[in-house]
Amino acid sequence: MSLRFNALFSMAVFITMLAALYAVFIYVPSEREMGVAQRIFYFHVPAAMSTYLAFFIVFVASIQFLRTQGAQWDRLALCAAELGIVFGLIVLTTGPIWARPIWGTWWRWEPRLASMLIMFTVYVAYLLMRVYGAGAPQIPRYAAILGIVAFINIPFVHYSVNLWTPEQQLHPTSNTLLDPRMVYTKYLCYSAVFLFFFYLLSRRLGLEKIRQRFNELQDRLDQPPDSQMKGSILG
Amino acid sequence: MNFLAQSLAIAAKDLAAEWHTKERFGSMAFFVLLILLVFSFSFKSGGAALHETGPGVLWSAFVFASLFGLQRSFATEGENHCLDALRLAPMHPAAIYLGKALGNFIFLALIETLALPFFGLFFNLSPGLYLVPLLGIFALGAACLSSVGTLFAAMCSNQRLGELMLPLLMVPLIMPALISCVEATALVLANRPLATLYPHLRMLAVYSLVFTVLSLMLFEYILEE
Repeated sequence: MSLRFNALFSMAVFITMLAALYAVFIYVPSEREMGVAQRIFYFHVPAAMSTYLAFFIVFVASIQFLRTQGAQWDRLALCAAELGIVFGLIVLTTGPIWARPIWGTWWRWEPRLASMLIMFTVYVAYLLMRVYGAGAPQIPRYAAILGIVAFINIPFVHYSVNLWTPEQQLHPTSNTLLDPRMVYTKYLCYSAVFLFFFYLLSRRLGLEKIRQRFNELQDRLDQPPDSQMKGSILG
Repeated sequence: MNFLAQSLAIAAKDLAAEWHTKERFGSMAFFVLLILLVFSFSFKSGGAALHETGPGVLWSAFVFASLFGLQRSFATEGENHCLDALRLAPMHPAAIYLGKALGNFIFLALIETLALPFFGLFFNLSPGLYLVPLLGIFALGAACLSSVGTLFAAMCSNQRLGELMLPLLMVPLIMPALISCVEATALVLANRPLATLYPHLRMLAVYSLVFTVLSLMLFEYILEE
């Protein structure tokens, strides 16, 4: 993508993020029951959605890679998985920060929390495989298989965790957002986080493309010169 | 030979090889025993332990033992380039998967059944007919472990990934099945009515079926050179 596009994109992300921060910390009123702690939800929820979106992108890119063997799909799956981990970490840190004053404890084995943690570990394993196996020609194929299997696993995680946990779903529903300012802030934060997600994805993709190109060039340099050239040098 | 006969031939080959060496079966069974011992020493046993930690201990032992056994299922094919020969054989790659998964399933189900008396001994389990549904849970659990496990074991037979990767890949993915196995086992040990088991059994059946079918579709991409 062109430099101009990147510059515009980064400006848009910067401005919406600033506006979102202003809205969350200054503009929006505190929720009646949960108080200040509820404000973290304006980032927590879109981060959770971005995590799922990232895992879905890994799934689609993995299928496409197996079908077409196109290196761009492999890159997309890798970059989306990394972002899924990053946004998953945001969810798993903002969650307990909110839970501490509201539930009175940092962690509970509540269904959504437990599901998120299990899925998070699956995608960490995905990245570990790509790191350990880096360079082996089969790894993109194996990673694609894992990307598909991991996504199909998500409904099973939700179903089994719901059967298992002694606790009910304890997340508040969005019905508590009564003030119109809360609704505006919610949508503003959704746009800010999603834009940020796609911005990071596009930059990470660009970086990965350059890295692969660099590796190709380096491989070509490392190749031993063919016999004819060797002959001419020796001669 | 049709598809099913090819898979059965692979499974029969694995079982015959095992019958001659007894290498995998013996070490797996001993390993389960060791893990049961480790857990018995780690947690207070007796009394409430059977219901509180018992099911978890039993399934942790099975998961660890399955990792142990699954690794061997493809490691033996690495010797003398057996895997290359399998690749060259005139059969669909999915048949290799199904045969291997079937062999692993039989191994795991046998080990699980064999471990039950020892578990009962260590945890003061009173024997009775109410334990019979456990065999069904064991079979479904073994099906879940071998469906996902065989796929990943094949991946980890690649030298670049190595055996270290198998637990890292398999344990997170097997978690939903593990949860249901533990829950269902706890219900049986507590002698609850059978109807309470159904949601878990259904979950395990669907899980093993979905991942077997998915692996059948994807296995050819693993064998490709």
